[in-house]
Amino acid sequence: MSRRFAPRRLSGPTLRLAALAGAGALAIAACSSSSASGNSPTNTGSSTSGTIVWWASPIAGSGPTDTRTVLINAFEKQYPKIHVKLENASTNTDTNRATLATQISGGSSTPDVFMGDVIWPAQFGAHQLAVPLSKYLPKSFFAQFAPGLVQGATYKGQVYGSPLFEDQGFLYYRKDLLAKDHLPVPKTWEQLMSEAKTMQKKGQVKYGFVWEGDSYEGLTCDFMEYLTDAGGTVTNPGFTKGTLNSPAAIKAVTFMRKLITSGVSPSAVTTFQEPQAMDAFASGQAAFLRNWDYAYSYANTPSTSKVVGKVGVAPLPTFAGQSYPGYSNIGGWNMYINPHSKHLSLDLTFIKWLASPAAQRILALKYSEIPTNESVRTSPAVIKSNAVLAIVPQTRLVPRPAGTPNYPAVSTAIYQNVNAVLAGSASPSSAMSSANSQVNSALSSSSGGGL
Amino acid sequence: MAAISTTAERTTAAAPPRGRRDANTKKLARIGWGFSAPALLVIAAVTIFPIVYSVIMSVSNVQLSGNGFALNGITGGNYSVLVHAAVWRYAVIFTIVYTLITVIVELVIGTCIALVLERLTAGRGWLMALLLIPWSMITVINAELYGYIYNGTYGVYQYLTGLVGLGHPVILGTPTGAIAGMMVADIWKTTPFVAIIVLAGLVMLPGDVYEAAEMDGASGWTTFWRITLPLLRPTIALAVMFRVLQAFGLFDLPYVLTGGGPGYSTNSLAILGYFAMFKNLDFGPGAAVATSTAALVLLGCLASLRVFRVQVGKENA
Repeated sequence: MSRRFAPRRLSGPTLRLAALAGAGALAIAACSSSSASGNSPTNTGSSTSGTIVWWASPIAGSGPTDTRTVLINAFEKQYPKIHVKLENASTNTDTNRATLATQISGGSSTPDVFMGDVIWPAQFGAHQLAVPLSKYLPKSFFAQFAPGLVQGATYKGQVYGSPLFEDQGFLYYRKDLLAKDHLPVPKTWEQLMSEAKTMQKKGQVKYGFVWEGDSYEGLTCDFMEYLTDAGGTVTNPGFTKGTLNSPAAIKAVTFMRKLITSGVSPSAVTTFQEPQAMDAFASGQAAFLRNWDYAYSYANTPSTSKVVGKVGVAPLPTFAGQSYPGYSNIGGWNMYINPHSKHLSLDLTFIKWLASPAAQRILALKYSEIPTNESVRTSPAVIKSNAVLAIVPQTRLVPRPAGTPNYPAVSTAIYQNVNAVLAGSASPSSAMSSANSQVNSALSSSSGGGL
Repeated sequence: MAAISTTAERTTAAAPPRGRRDANTKKLARIGWGFSAPALLVIAAVTIFPIVYSVIMSVSNVQLSGNGFALNGITGGNYSVLVHAAVWRYAVIFTIVYTLITVIVELVIGTCIALVLERLTAGRGWLMALLLIPWSMITVINAELYGYIYNGTYGVYQYLTGLVGLGHPVILGTPTGAIAGMMVADIWKTTPFVAIIVLAGLVMLPGDVYEAAEMDGASGWTTFWRITLPLLRPTIALAVMFRVLQAFGLFDLPYVLTGGGPGYSTNSLAILGYFAMFKNLDFGPGAAVATSTAALVLLGCLASLRVFRVQVGKENA
């Protein structure tokens, strides 16, 4: 083709120049990495004024009613000398993790505080991407949270996250249809299946039960519920070995597949994340839905839903022979502090306030988020305010096996193999045994084995 | 472009003998390098350095901490993680097969389109503009678009199969369906690119050869196989190179459409590397995935160059 682009041989001086250019680039890189090695917070000082940056993804509301703005305004009213600047983060938790990990490991002193997933403490703790809060905050601070939440934020004896609001799986049902058919709210998975079939046969709904079956983190959450109901676990308590190669795990995933083969769940459920499941339910096509806290208000908003006023919420069912209710997987968000933050005392003040009844009441009463502060969670005003918050005290919780820094690889092993069974491309027993060996290799090496 | 034509250049271009290069030329060259040095520095900083660093990371024991990366000694561990992971072995095969099939199909369809376009006199400009719409679309948007088409509850595809009595298959719900669906989205988007390149090659072909063929009474079929196609080889080689490079980095489509599922059936090497690096924060194995991908694609390109090089030489001889 064109002759103009014919390569020329590098001669002496040009070669030297090129070498120089390369060296220059390396020098620049060296500079940047050395300047990045600023150390853990030096200014733990007692300053009471200044500006901190809060990294948080949207919670609810927009404009002046945006949850984050409302919280900031209330905080600044109480602490007029501290200014909190909001940094709007992505709603995708994986994007957030990638950005925060590179930003913090690159030495950035902002954001000072960040809202992060409940499954991050071990990973962020192991990589020193978050400040161990238990070094600075007393035991009494952590005692105010609902049981189990602080344990979930602990890695190797240190607490890295301060629970901001919690989330968990719920069973949503069409109370109008259940009443019409004289059916009770299902207490077992088997019962849910047969009731769903009844409503489908009568043509009241197209789908019986919709949930999150796509190949992604949400499927790990759903699977944890069936697995725990069946009496299984993912790893041993010390996170050194996988325990998925068990009859309980096979029972759980076999049942999930049966939901599809029996027609109770559409085969498209293997591609459903929260929005798709939510849409199927809110458009009146499904009798039952497994979703998080937000689904109740979503299903009762006329602009998004055709089933306003027809929705009931209950704890999740369990397998026949087990005691009701079944387990709900824990989701939600913690507050973390950037180890490079130059305003540690301000950060702590803000985090302490976010855990206080004043902030927690805003989250619960204004936005029906599940408060993490036990006194707010169990207060009559909160329980009365919302049907979902009312049943929170009745539910049983199970965390994801996030006590290992390699949790993401463990979760990938779970959701990929479970999804393969749901799609019919693997048998329950072979999928669980390959999930188990993937979990084992993820746990085997300290610096993240497996892929 | 330069890379492909090198063989031809070396044999035919009359490079000035070294001795005749006077001081003036040398001075000019020096000034030239001087002017391009800042740009070269930037290129070195943003491409060469990261590539080299990533290769180094792939053979190092990488520790990520709040204070950046620490490379603690050389290790083969990252690559042994890959070799022992069924997911990686699958991703290699998937990415290669995906690349082969999509590139071949795009090439065949693209060449056909180019042949038609070359004949067209009226409306060629319009048709080319139309053709370029899919190509100019951002891949993520293309993926979202196909996400709607393939949607398992309200997708256009399901609606159509329902109309003709084929039921409601969930395209992205089975491995074969998801892979095929992804290939269709890819082929739809990039065939026009191949067509345009091939068309550019076609219009540059010498007319006299065709006249000679006609005089000898060659059929259209023979002319195509014996003249058009051999003469097009350099152009096709170029198109193949571009496409192989791009197809091998398959990321956007599975990221948007399936997240690598069902199971890990659409886990490409790029997706795998992304997960390892930015979800697991395992930068060692992640860099190893990236490096192995680069090595594979380099091999692929060298192989395709080898296949086409002979022809390039002949054509100029």
